[in-house]
Amino acid sequence: MKFRAKIVDAACLNHFTRVSNMIAKLAKTCTLRISPRHLNFILSDKVASGGVSMWCELEQENFFNEFQMEGVSAENNAIYLELTSENLSRALKTAQNARALKIKLTNKHFPCLTVSIELLSVSSSSRIVTHDIPIKVIPRKLWKDLQEPTVPDCDVSIYLPVLKTMKSVVERMKNISNHLTEMLHLQIIEANRNGDLNLKIESELVCVTTHFKDLGNPPFASENASQDRNPARMAEVHVDIRKFLQFLSGQQVNPTKAICNIVRNKVVHFDLLHEDVSLQYFIPALS
Amino acid sequence: AAMLKCGMNGSQVKVFGKAVQALSRISDELWLDPSEKGLALRSVNSCRSAYGCVLFSPLFFQHYQWSTSVEMNDNNRISNLNCKLGIKSILPIFRCLNSLERNVENCKIFTRSDKCKVIFQFFCRHGIKRTHNVCFQESQPLQVIFEKNTCSNTLMIQPRVLAEAIVLFTSNQEEVTLAVTPLNACIKSSNEESMDLTNSVYSEMFVGPDEFDFFQIGVDTEITFCFKELKGMLTFSEAIRAPISIHFDIPGKPIGLSIDDMLLEANFVLATLADEPSRGSSPQSTCLSQKRKRSDVVCSNSKAGEKNSKVTEYVSGKAARKRLYPDETLTDISTLENCGSPTVKRVNRDITEVPESSVSDTEEVPGSPYLRKFACMFFGALSSDPREHFDNPFDNLATASDSEEDMNNGSYSTS
Repeated sequence: MKFRAKIVDAACLNHFTRVSNMIAKLAKTCTLRISPRHLNFILSDKVASGGVSMWCELEQENFFNEFQMEGVSAENNAIYLELTSENLSRALKTAQNARALKIKLTNKHFPCLTVSIELLSVSSSSRIVTHDIPIKVIPRKLWKDLQEPTVPDCDVSIYLPVLKTMKSVVERMKNISNHLTEMLHLQIIEANRNGDLNLKIESELVCVTTHFKDLGNPPFASENASQDRNPARMAEVHVDIRKFLQFLSGQQVNPTKAICNIVRNKVVHFDLLHEDVSLQYFIPALS
Repeated sequence: AAMLKCGMNGSQVKVFGKAVQALSRISDELWLDPSEKGLALRSVNSCRSAYGCVLFSPLFFQHYQWSTSVEMNDNNRISNLNCKLGIKSILPIFRCLNSLERNVENCKIFTRSDKCKVIFQFFCRHGIKRTHNVCFQESQPLQVIFEKNTCSNTLMIQPRVLAEAIVLFTSNQEEVTLAVTPLNACIKSSNEESMDLTNSVYSEMFVGPDEFDFFQIGVDTEITFCFKELKGMLTFSEAIRAPISIHFDIPGKPIGLSIDDMLLEANFVLATLADEPSRGSSPQSTCLSQKRKRSDVVCSNSKAGEKNSKVTEYVSGKAARKRLYPDETLTDISTLENCGSPTVKRVNRDITEVPESSVSDTEEVPGSPYLRKFACMFFGALSSDPREHFDNPFDNLATASDSEEDMNNGSYSTS
């Protein structure tokens, strides 16, 4: 198993750092999958994550000007590593004004992802910073749990409003729900094919709703045979508000594209595109 | 009664406040220690592995007055302002330093040893006057002797460079290792800590000699120390825009960081992790350190000539520490209580032969196994003029407020 890659472009480096920061906010521990054309950050829907799963994909060509990898075997030409997301984002933080960044798989006492940064300094000499991030290699037999999730047939598909606005709304709702025990951190997300999206928290005593209108629905959704005839009918899903807030907090920059797919009472699927990095995030319904 | 009275303007308050903030990183307590050299702010951490002192010269202030008291009871004891403040009481006073700088026209600090409190008065714009009365505890300050000039290695660096290095390390790593050769310097995660924490990142940064204002390495070495206490000092040096001088030697000997400005002098001394004897420290380095240790402690006091000086020097609190090298006599100073003069004289002259038995065990710091291995500071009795002891046998005695348990009725055993 081998992996070596290098970034020299400042914009690519900053973009990669932003992606890493986002992953660090979304998942404490995640899987990094390295394949010839892609890098993926994966969180599978195990009990530990409370059923939340994530699939983030970037095309390595868009970031690295050098990229070499050799997977476990010729038929299984991929590497699956488990790492603490924050370790990577912190290491990249020091690459703010770097001349070059190298990442490689090493084995110093234990397997590591070594991030090596060549910093520009005021004087003529450049400074070299190295970070050895401990990782765990995930064995082949566990790979089946870490594959790209299938997009479910959804009841409603809708474009999201500005995420920052959603985040501040959800934050306030979470604060309220903290005080009312019967709410059990429940967030209701509902949307219809008329471009309406509602975020709701409700209990016996109080109900707070924020309405977003005229959001627009992606075109393909209307082709789905299981859709109702009535476009105004809401499809709703009840999720844990804390998980929803965590997802929104991870989005530092407003994405290029953001779609929300709801499968009534089952799951909500967020499909985002940050420039050329795609992120899919699934939050299951609370039973 | 001993007294301190000084005044500052807005920008001086900002610098003073930054010093308080820097020292707050070391411990929860701060001594106000005036002398003719100026006003010293001192702080020592609970396990005695870090010490900080910022000395403001009298010229720093708009006005500066101080005095000791001479008590007219037995033996004309001279006592200083022994003033210890809780950092939690002081920090809020010096919050929002930028706005203090803008709004404060004048700040007065006044205290007297018989008053039990320090009065901080801020005369602000628009006729606003803000007064803070902070109670103090009577306690003799502790001081560390650190001979910068005898250190083999000296570096001088702009704070910005050091700050960039510190950013590398994660917050759950307390220790950092500085490795130097005549060709370069490397700041890296401590090996010991990294190996024990299975998930920690190991980081290292090489800095070339041309990044330093001064780079003199006498002996290749790798020293490990806690850097949390440093962060306060970094911010302070960035605020006053002064480079930091770093003096150090071999593992086990303390590392000293200092800032020297015309109007103030800051010194931070940190203990470093000692090599275990089993790690094979070379015989040469052992001898070197033995020699150094003695010179550290028995340093000549600049006040030796001032027989009639009103100011008293301060003796150590206990320095609890483990033996670094098996063959060597510990050069600890243990706590001295007010006792009869013959005992006092003997101890002061035979400072280097304090036996280990009189030193109590190293303080355990909960939650941090590494600190047990740190060599603790030397705290020095500074007066080397024996005659002064005859005249004023109680001059150099101090009871550190927390070490009464060392002594049994003031007798001192040298067995």
